[in-house]
Amino acid sequence: MLSQTFRTVIVALALANAASAQTELTIATVSNPDMERMQRLSDIFAAQNPGIEFNWVTLDENTLRQQVTTDIATGSGRFDIVTIGTYEVPIWAERGWLSALDGMPAEYDVDDLLPSIRNSLSYEGTLFAAPFYGESAFTMYRTDLFEAAGLEMPDEPTWDFIRTAASTISKANSDVSGICLRGKPGWGENVALITTMANSYGARWLDEDWQPQFDTESWASAVNDYVSLVRDFGPPDAAQHGYTDLLALFQSGQCAIWIDATVAASSITDPETSDVADRVGFALAPDRGLGKRANWLWAWSLGISSGSEHQEEARRFVAWATSQAYTEIVAEEEGWLNAPPGTRASLYRNPDYLAAAPFADMVLASINAADPANPTVDVVPYTGIQYVAIPEFPSMATAVGSQIAKALSGDISTGEALENAQWVSDKVMERARFLRAD
Amino acid sequence: MTHATDAYQKPVSEMDDELLPVPEHRLHGPGHFLGLYGAEHVAATEFVIGAAFVAMGASIYDILWGLLIGNALAAMSFWLITAPIAVKTRLSLYTYIEYYMGDLVSRVYNGANVLIFVAISAAMITVSATAVRVLFEIPPQTYPYPTNFYFAIIAASASVIAVVVAYFGFNVVAEFATICTPWLMAMFTAGGMVLIPSLNETLTGYTTLESFADFVNLAGTTVFTGINAEGEPGIGMLEVIGFAWAANTFAHFGLIDMALLRYARKSIYGLCTGTGMLFGHYVAWISAALMGAATASIMKLSIAVVSPGDVAYYALGATGFVIVIVAGWTTANPNLYRAGLAAQAVFPDVPRQKITLMVGAVVVVGSCFPFIYRSILPILAYAGLVLVPIGGIVFAEQHIFPRLGLKSNWRRLKGVKDNMPALITWAVCLVFGFGLNAIDIIPFVYLFLPTWALSIILYTILAKQAGAGECYPEAERREADFNRRVAEYHAELARKESHEHVKDRSALTKVIRVIYIGVGLLVPLVLAWRVLFKSPDLYDYYVNREMFYDVTIWCTLIYFVFAWWDLQRGKAVQRNAPGQPVASAGN
Repeated sequence: MLSQTFRTVIVALALANAASAQTELTIATVSNPDMERMQRLSDIFAAQNPGIEFNWVTLDENTLRQQVTTDIATGSGRFDIVTIGTYEVPIWAERGWLSALDGMPAEYDVDDLLPSIRNSLSYEGTLFAAPFYGESAFTMYRTDLFEAAGLEMPDEPTWDFIRTAASTISKANSDVSGICLRGKPGWGENVALITTMANSYGARWLDEDWQPQFDTESWASAVNDYVSLVRDFGPPDAAQHGYTDLLALFQSGQCAIWIDATVAASSITDPETSDVADRVGFALAPDRGLGKRANWLWAWSLGISSGSEHQEEARRFVAWATSQAYTEIVAEEEGWLNAPPGTRASLYRNPDYLAAAPFADMVLASINAADPANPTVDVVPYTGIQYVAIPEFPSMATAVGSQIAKALSGDISTGEALENAQWVSDKVMERARFLRAD
Repeated sequence: MTHATDAYQKPVSEMDDELLPVPEHRLHGPGHFLGLYGAEHVAATEFVIGAAFVAMGASIYDILWGLLIGNALAAMSFWLITAPIAVKTRLSLYTYIEYYMGDLVSRVYNGANVLIFVAISAAMITVSATAVRVLFEIPPQTYPYPTNFYFAIIAASASVIAVVVAYFGFNVVAEFATICTPWLMAMFTAGGMVLIPSLNETLTGYTTLESFADFVNLAGTTVFTGINAEGEPGIGMLEVIGFAWAANTFAHFGLIDMALLRYARKSIYGLCTGTGMLFGHYVAWISAALMGAATASIMKLSIAVVSPGDVAYYALGATGFVIVIVAGWTTANPNLYRAGLAAQAVFPDVPRQKITLMVGAVVVVGSCFPFIYRSILPILAYAGLVLVPIGGIVFAEQHIFPRLGLKSNWRRLKGVKDNMPALITWAVCLVFGFGLNAIDIIPFVYLFLPTWALSIILYTILAKQAGAGECYPEAERREADFNRRVAEYHAELARKESHEHVKDRSALTKVIRVIYIGVGLLVPLVLAWRVLFKSPDLYDYYVNREMFYDVTIWCTLIYFVFAWWDLQRGKAVQRNAPGQPVASAGN
């Protein structure tokens, strides 16, 4: 750990130079522990760059999106640096709202970025945001229950195996759900899981002509299997469970298999928060033998507003906050498990990190297996794996998600859910096509 | 226009009606003004002004209370300032200026009007063009200047057509505008209702609102946040009050609405202006802001740059195109016409066709620049500042001069060609008002108040020095004689003209009205209510919204067909009634 005295001296030196400070970088960031940590550690950057001060604007995710969109779309330059996800980057880059990050300093080592993460933050081959942390989805399971049932989880399971394992464990354990999958409606909840599952079944949201595809056999298979899997072997009230609920269920030992975000791994293997910390195994997300797995890709990243008047200073900070050096600072300050995961290959070669994070290899494999530019078996005109990177997607997907949640609850049939999903997607795309014209 | 002094040498019966006071038998009661003003203040500008308040960073409570107070002040201004002068003189402001201030002031005043009406016309045509650009798949215009050649072509073409229509078909469009208002009111209300669930979902994840408190919370968090587009604390209640008050400064303090209120039996009818403002400058502004915020959220754009065409399309479907084009054109049309007339008054020797084309050319160029329509609120406030000194001068002549023993019509009595004290007062007040604006000591929306006060004081002093306090016995006798002749002429007119408004009570008319009110207005409102209150999740919301879109466009068609039919039948009944025509106020 950096000595407190050393840090104090650095900060004091920086303050001594404050009189000459000429640049204030305004940074819009989402309120989560990783971003708040970055804010704390930015003192170190300020000490190394005495001409730069920070104005942090920390907001919840929805408010952040709204305020940043307003600022960046009008080019008013309120925010120099903005925190954005992989969903926004291609849309904003296409509109010219972000500065290209094609001139990063040599020590940034852009080639160290994981290729899939780098691609997801690029538009037409140019990087427009620097990843702060990234995640995919994979399979988490209870090794003790598998062992008791005489099952062995393959590193690359299929959906058929997942169903068999869930069924077997459910029958043997009345107090444990064989499988836990997101059921709560929302584009960031059940739709993320169902979309990746559908991808692995050969389905896609839209064809090459931007026509919705819910009336295809592959969607019917994916949704039917999802509903029957969760209804038969999932927890009660499955349609109300989102990521946070399922994390709690798994941590308390009530799930045998959970397919969800790789970021959950550190929480379920932490003895302080998980009852099953020492009985957890990891595998890739399932597939169906069609060449695509049910894993997604997401990264929170830092982008520079094209309206910023402090491009050079902003670029320096973005490079620092997403660098290997920053990762090492976090590790020194708060341990390797808190290092921002999922962005750099070097982290997954670091023996200290690998020792602290037994799931690291599987996380890396999951991220590497995700290809947002080619998310589906058949060709699609969009990018994004668990989402479609178009402005209309969140509301369209939430409407679709509500129909699938209803099918899961038994309120409507899966056929009706898909029919409704097709109708609503048709309508949204029809209106979007009409207005977009760009 | 003819020089006033020459004009009053003619026999009264040969004079243009506009140059004479309104005769007693043509005055109207409060019902007329409630209807007339109910139809005012709902136009395409409301789409833009609603969004402007959001971009300026007003908070929800400042909006809810500030607009109420500001509009109340505006209605009181009509009541206490405009209406008493209109009732006392029974003249339009244009005639008043010609009559009391002479040709030069009239020309300069009309020159200022040309600029203002050209700006408003250009802005409204651009608003229409934002809808048309969607039909031609042209990208949204998010910059102050046109970023797409074809958008400029569309805006310019729309302007050319509007100029031609204003020149050749003004009356038809003006007539059409009279039936638009109830529909515009219904659509503004429905549009806000339709997009609230979508807006709510982006913030809370839910499409339903449980209470008014939920609505206030939603609007306060997503629309009227108190933070402006630059991310700084926005305007406060004082500014919101000022904007609402100043948006019609040229009409109340500036006395333009003397043209309408000169027909009022009593000055208290000035309060009837509140009907239009309560809807157009309260419900419609708030509704437009909500629609703009929801559209910005759907399109992942800023409300500061989202266009009225996009907003209307997401709020009302295909009907949205109709509302933007209709509202834009029906607002642009009279303003273009006024601009042409005002320009003619400035250059009476230039042929009318030539002057109209010159004005039209300026409008064509202006309509290509989106910054004009996005700046409509400041334009209206500054327009008020330009015209308010004239209002102050008239106020002084009508209310202060009699108390000080000065002659209101001293210029005519003295026989001078131009009212130089008025011209000097106006010039000084403009320097004063815009000077105050430059040093930025009070919000610009309140600049009209000190400017108005200065114009009253300064003009009173200058006019007294110029001879307003002197006696002109011979001229006063001539004036009294003229007034007697006017009274006799009006008495004769009263005997000839029917005083009664013939009402069409036929069964067919009643059926027509039931159809266009019931099907044209109520059905869309009921469907919008269903979208707002019967959409438990986004899927149900889309189902209800699509039904609203699909049905409302047909309701709109039915509304216009039947309302137009009713209008034409009503005109036929009036034409066929004995003792016609009956003059109508303000037209």
